[in-house]
Order: sequence, then structure tokens, then C-alpha cells
Amino acid sequence: MTSASIIASELIIGLEVHIELASATKVFSAAGNPAQFGTTESAPNTLIDAVVLALPGSLPVMTRESIESSMLVGRAMGCQVGGTTSWDRKSYMYPDLPKGYQISQYDRPVCGKGSMEVFPEDALGVVDLESPRGIRIQRAHLEEDAGKLLHEAPGGHALDGSIVDYNRAGTPLLEIVTEPDFRTADEVVGFARQLRLLVRHLGVSACIMQEGQIRFEPNINMRLTLDDGRVIETPIVEVKNLNSFRSVRGAIDYEAATQPKRWVCDQQEHARGTKTTRGWDPDKNCTTVQRSKEDAHDYRYFPEPDLPPVHIDAAWVARVEERLVESPMVRMRRWVTEYGLDSRGTLALLDEPDACAYFDAVVEASQAMGAHNAGSQAGRLLLQSGARLANERSVRLDELGATPERVAELVKLRADGAVSAQSADRIFELLCEEHEVDAASIAQREGLLLVRDDAAIDAWIEQVMHENPAIVEQIMGGKVQAVGRLVGGVMKLSGGSADAAEVKRRMLERMQP
Amino acid sequence: MTVPPTDTINAILERFESQAPATDGLLAGVNIAVKANICTTLGITSAASRMLENYRSPFEATVVTRLRRAGANLIGTTNMDEFGMGSSTEHSAFGPTRNPWDTDRVPGGSSGGSAAAVAAGIATVALGSDTGGSIRQPASHCGVVGLKPTYGRVSRYGLVAFASSLDCVGPIGRCVRDCAQALQIIAGEDPHDATCARVPVPNMINQLDTPIDGLRVGVVRTMINDHNHPAVNAVCEAAIERVRRSGGEVVDVELPHADHAVAAYYLIAPAEASSNLARYDGVRYGYRAPADKNSTLDEMYTHTRTNGFGPEVRRRILLGTHALSSGYYDAYYQRARKVRRLIKQDYDRAFNEHGLHTVVTPVSPGPAFRLGEKLADPMALYLEDQYTVGVSLAGLPAISVPAGMTDDPKPLPIGVQLIGKAFDEPTLLRVAATLEAAWSQRDSFKPQVGMC
Repeated sequence: MTSASIIASELIIGLEVHIELASATKVFSAAGNPAQFGTTESAPNTLIDAVVLALPGSLPVMTRESIESSMLVGRAMGCQVGGTTSWDRKSYMYPDLPKGYQISQYDRPVCGKGSMEVFPEDALGVVDLESPRGIRIQRAHLEEDAGKLLHEAPGGHALDGSIVDYNRAGTPLLEIVTEPDFRTADEVVGFARQLRLLVRHLGVSACIMQEGQIRFEPNINMRLTLDDGRVIETPIVEVKNLNSFRSVRGAIDYEAATQPKRWVCDQQEHARGTKTTRGWDPDKNCTTVQRSKEDAHDYRYFPEPDLPPVHIDAAWVARVEERLVESPMVRMRRWVTEYGLDSRGTLALLDEPDACAYFDAVVEASQAMGAHNAGSQAGRLLLQSGARLANERSVRLDELGATPERVAELVKLRADGAVSAQSADRIFELLCEEHEVDAASIAQREGLLLVRDDAAIDAWIEQVMHENPAIVEQIMGGKVQAVGRLVGGVMKLSGGSADAAEVKRRMLERMQP
Repeated sequence: MTVPPTDTINAILERFESQAPATDGLLAGVNIAVKANICTTLGITSAASRMLENYRSPFEATVVTRLRRAGANLIGTTNMDEFGMGSSTEHSAFGPTRNPWDTDRVPGGSSGGSAAAVAAGIATVALGSDTGGSIRQPASHCGVVGLKPTYGRVSRYGLVAFASSLDCVGPIGRCVRDCAQALQIIAGEDPHDATCARVPVPNMINQLDTPIDGLRVGVVRTMINDHNHPAVNAVCEAAIERVRRSGGEVVDVELPHADHAVAAYYLIAPAEASSNLARYDGVRYGYRAPADKNSTLDEMYTHTRTNGFGPEVRRRILLGTHALSSGYYDAYYQRARKVRRLIKQDYDRAFNEHGLHTVVTPVSPGPAFRLGEKLADPMALYLEDQYTVGVSLAGLPAISVPAGMTDDPKPLPIGVQLIGKAFDEPTLLRVAATLEAAWSQRDSFKPQVGMC
């Protein structure tokens, strides 16, 4: 036994991601797919057929859509796609696995090596666009999902045994495996979220987290530097089936804090056969043992004799590549660096590809009308009040009813200082109802056009400054934020018709030393 | 239509209700029985297993659909070795089938019920399935014709899987022509089976009467040897002589890896079977062992599978599971796959480099054996397949044609096996028809029971 102590530590994390593809059918049969877009929950055991239930004599048949969706995600991650891909049986018995084996891919996956640029995301959701990390993708393969074993009856009633719902069995599942390239939880969460966004934008899965349509399994261990000069690695812990970013971060934080302590206790180092499988307990905020090395499965992989290998040629890859889209992170970077938007604020918008297109259309139309700072003005309007309204009405931004052209007119009014920020929100709301009326007419009708009489504004400013000499002194002394109270005074005098931003600018100009 | 004789030999497991006789189609009104591992919606699809004793399939096999559309009169299901595992039809959960030539003897297997039903005149044609010889060997033992098509020629959709890379559905009939007609109907691509070849189906019938002048027929000399029953060797030699006299050019051919076929087969087939039979777990359908509240899931699995499967099936599941398990995979399964490739190459060479049209061999080393004779010795039973499993591993078409008798007081039929090029069943059937016609005693060739 050594008594060496730890002087430095580094996390080593690899990630496995399972994504349920939204194809029209199951991966190996014509039965309906619960992960298809817009599918509402189906009654248990209705999305089934002879193949899904593994009835005697049934045979799996490859479906083109699942393969092409996998190829598309692979190409978006820069993976090698092409050549021969084939199927293998992975055997284990469990009631939710109808055949007693899962059809998967062992050594010839659809997608080979690739790499993805990832932007770390911190615990507050702020994305670091300055320091991207290249994460290598080891492979991505296609397999079938299992059904669900339920231990209580619908409605939470107690059961004498367990029941199985096979609706999910046979749903196409893309498993993406990264190299152990992550060093922080921020990188893992950034990758997880950005991969989800990418897949949504490619249109191959809705990745609804609470439905388990995307699930994360980090493999976590640590490199510890000891004071006697040795560098050792702790045993790998695989945390299964995480379906929220919060739990991904929680599991990594917990393991990062716990693995050095475990090593101090048992001195066990990473070696063949030391990997354990743990689950995440969201209530206790810790991981718990699910399976240790002693009862590791022997999956007895062997080539699936019911499915011939699939040959993917360059022409097929090229056809699939036509469906590639602009990466959502390229979009975010444009919004943040060019429009000055806040990265965290754009995440919700990025979640909806159609809303993104809508937003870009608004900005483009505003720019075409000569609106100054169009991106920033549109962002202010749509990411805050627009998003709130969409949320209240449970629709997407682009479904609120205001056309990009009408909204662009509003952005132009706002950029010209013709309406206040508050009024712009109100006009946007009205634009969503009144499709025939333009923003300027609404502003006029509702009396929301700002006074552009500079002389009147200057007179109000003069009056307010005169009445508040103490505050003026504070501001001149450097406490600039006190200007808000003076601006408020002017707005009051103007009956809300002055542009607060313009008032503030003029006021500070006057007080410049 | 004649009334089929009573089934005293336990060839039929279930008789279907009689259907309205068809007047249309190539098989209009022909009485056809199907092996009990082929799904129909007319009755129970049991695969002769306790596990599926009451199992009714909600869909029918593609071959059954095609037979019905051709006007066939489906009369029932035939007995077999459980899930196709056996060479004697003694491994049926519903009792053995007896050989119509001598009811103390087995009909062969695993399609013993189909072969016996045809030999006894209960069915005109019966479908069987052949994984390592399960159509050819019982056909030989029962004195009928059994055709294993090229792997991929006939859809496996609706065939209860034993070893998916080997399983073939094929016909058993009283003559080559009946088999050719049945194959014509059941062959061809099927969107439900990804391994079913997308190649056109040639005319199986129009070359049957074409002389075989100039066709090259290979003989594997090592397969005519002292380990065989003398009558098997004699019948084989006589058949070769008939081929020669009919205009065929007989040449010797070597299959250097043939000796390893049994070993490779008994790794690959059980490996696939262990996986294919994992679905019989008592959860969704089929037999489930009674359990009390305290039973664990593993206990339910264990009791269900121990009671639901017979001893031969359990043996093969254990064999196959072991062959695939980590640490043994390379030595067993992977190696067997390599041997399989070599065996395939042997045949490729025979057909392509030596320009052969067909190869003739014995079907099995002896005639039908007595019930119980080989039950205690699985290895002896496995050797029944030594001349047929190589063909299965190579995926080639082969046919068993009656060619002679033993000279026992109760004579037993002996067939010879003809092996063809992949997807060239017409040439194979042409040689088989010639051989059939050239055997002068063909017409007096009848079993002891059943024939009307």
C-alpha cells in the first residue's frame, strides 16, 4: 500500500449517445415508429407486427430511411461513410427484447471515424464560442431499440408482475460513440446539446429528451498525478441512460468528486475488466452501482444471417449529402458575433429549425429595408417578447402569425427610433393577429409613434436635470447608472411618447465633462 | 380425387379442414402437405415442439400463399424432428413417424413426415425444409424425390428458423417432375425475405426431357467407401453407370475439404439455432412453465425452456451458445466459417474449372435404420448427414432421387444425391429426370403400406 497523495487530477470522458430516428417505420419492419415526428403517444402494443414481436417465421428487412438518416448524421459529423456495412446479433435475454438478441452492428458500422467542433457550455447555459474543442467520433452504428418493461399498470396501479409494451421495440436507434476526448463537464454538455441541435436541424429525429429519444452514456475516469511522481488512471465508470443535460453534468461532477476518494480507499486502477456500470439518482444527486464486472454480459456477437450486408457507394452518399444543412452552431456564432445576441438566449430559438429560418428571414428582410442593427433589433424583439408570446400560446415563433416582411417593417421602425421598445412588443403582438395591416399603420393607429421633436425632448431633459441637481452631480462624478431615474422623469413628462434610449443618449451627452 | 389413406405411420400432425377444390392453376386440386415448421393460418404451426404445441400463426409463409394461389389443396402439416433438429423424425414432441417401407424403421429426418406422407400416398407433394440434409435424406430413406433448392431461391418468410444461413424450403414428391412443378410455384424473390435472391426464376420443367448428352457429371470417389452400407455403394455405382449410358460424361472430382463439413456444420447450425430459438422465452406466445409468485425471471426462463424443448434441441442450443461465447468464438464459430468458405471454393472449382454440370454422391451412408437405433448416440446420427451438409454450407441446389434397393427380405429404398450449380436447378432437374427414367425397376418401386 502506498500513502502517496494526489496533487493533480484530470477527467477523461468518452460519450455514447443513442438517438431514436424519426423514420416512418421501424428499422426492420413496416410497423409504425413511436419516434416519428408528431406522433402522439400510442396505446401500448399497437405499433407492432410479426417482426417486432419476433413471431416464428418472421424476418427482418432493412429499411432505406433508417440507413439514410444514419448516413446523414454521420456526414454532418464528418464521419467516413461508404463501402460495406453489415449487421450482427447481440444476444441477451430480457422480456423487453423480443428475439432474445438485438440486431446491431459490431465491426462494420454505417459511419466510421469523424470529428465534431464543440463549444463548451457552462452550468448557467453560457456557450463559450471562443474556445471550440475538436472531439473525435469513433463510429456511429444503427441498431434497434427494445420495448419497455413496466412494473405498474397505467395510472400507477399496482401489478402482480410486470407488463411489457413493445411499441418502442424495433425503433431505429443510432448509437454514436466518441473517443475519450472530453476533459470537462462543460465540454460534454456542450457536445450533448450541440449534437441534439444538429440532429434536429437535419430533421432525422425530434430528440425529445423526456421521451428518451436521445440518451447519453458517459464513460468517466480520471488521471491522477501523485506526489511520488506517478500518474495513474482510475477505473472507468459508465453511467447509463441519462436523458437530461442536467443529469449528464450531475453524473460527471459527482464522479469527478468521488473517483479520487474511491482511489484513496481501494487503490484500484484502470485495467481490463474493472469497468462498472452505474445509474444516476436525480433525487440524491449521485450515481449508484447497476452492474459490476462480475456479471458483465457475454453478448455472443455474430453476423446476422437474415440481413445481407449493405453496400454504400459514393453516389448514394452524395445524394444523402444534399440534405445537409448549416450547422446550428455556425448560426449561433453568426447571431452572437454579428448581431451581438447572448448565446444563452439563442439556445431556445436554435432548438426549432423552422423558427431559426423565420428569424433569419426577418433579419434579412429588415436589412433589405435598410434597418440599422437589424440583427440586434430583431433579436431584442423576437427572442424576448416573441419567445414569451410563443411560449404562452404553445406554438413556435414562426407559427405566431406575423410574416417576416411585416416584422421586418417593425424592426425598421424600431431601428429608426420611431417606436419605443415597449411599443414594438405591443405592435408585434398586434401583427400576429392583423395579417393585413403594416406595422407603421398600427403604430399610428395606436398612438405609439415616438415624438421626434428634438427641441421638446431637450426642454424636458433641461427641466428634469434642473429639478434633480444631486443626481446630476452623482452622474458627473462617475455613477452613470443613476441616469435611469432622470430618463424615467423625462418619459413621464413626455407621456411615454419619447424614445427612452434616445433620451438617455442625449442626457449623457450633455453631462459629459 | 382419391381419398387419402389412413395415416398409420404418424406422418401427419394435423389435418386441415377440407377446402373448396380449386380448378385453376398449375397445382389445381393437388394434395399438398406442409412440414409443421411452415406457417399456415389453417391450423397449428408447432415445429413438432411442445413449445409451440398450440401456436397459431397470424400470417402464412410466402410458399404457402404461392401454393394456394396455384390451386393446391393443403391437407395438413407433417411430422418432423423438433425445429428441424434431427435425422430420424424421432425427436418430435408428438411421437416418431414410421417408414412406410418398414414400420420398424425411421423415415429419416427432419422432414420425415413429409417424405413418409408422399411415400404412403397421403400427399402428392409435401413441402419440407432442408438445413443440412433434412429433405434429401428422408426422401432417400422413403424412396421419393426430395429437392433442396439453391439457398435464396425460395423465400424463408414463414419458415420457423433453425439455422438462417442454411435453411431452405423445398418439395418432396413421387417423381422429379412433381418436384419441378412445385419448385416453379414456390420459387422467386420475396420482399419479406432479404436473403431471397432477386433473380428471375427459370422454367423448371421444359428441360426435363432433354437428353444429357455431353453434360459432365462429377463423381466424388472418396464418398463411395467402406464405411457406407454396401448397398449404398452399389446403388451409387449403378446410378453412375446409368448416367454414362444416357450420354453423360462421367469424371472424377475431388472435394478436398469435404471431410470437415460435418464439423463445420455442427458449429454453424447450432450457433445460429441458439440465437434463433432465444425468442421462445415464455413471454409473448407459446409454452410457459407454471410459476408461483416467488419465481424469478431467470427461473421462469429456465423452466420454460427446459420443459418446452426436447433433449436434442437443448443439446444444440448449448453447443451453439458455447461456440459463440467469448474466448471460444475464434476457435469454433470463426474457424467453421473459414471451412465453409473452403468448401464453397471446392464446389466452385468443380463447376467452373472442371466444367461440371452436376456432381453425384450418396445421400447418406446407409438405408433407413431402426427406430431407437441411433437415439443414444448423437454422433452416429450426425454422421447420417455427412454427404449432405457440405452442399448446405455451399448453398447449392441438390436433389435426392431413388436409384435402388437393399436386397433385404424387406427391401429398403436407396437414393443418390445430385448436386447442381447455384441457381441452375433446370440442369440439375434434367439430370435427375434422366437418371429416374433410366432405372428399369422404377415402376415396380412401391412401399409396403399406404399406397392406394
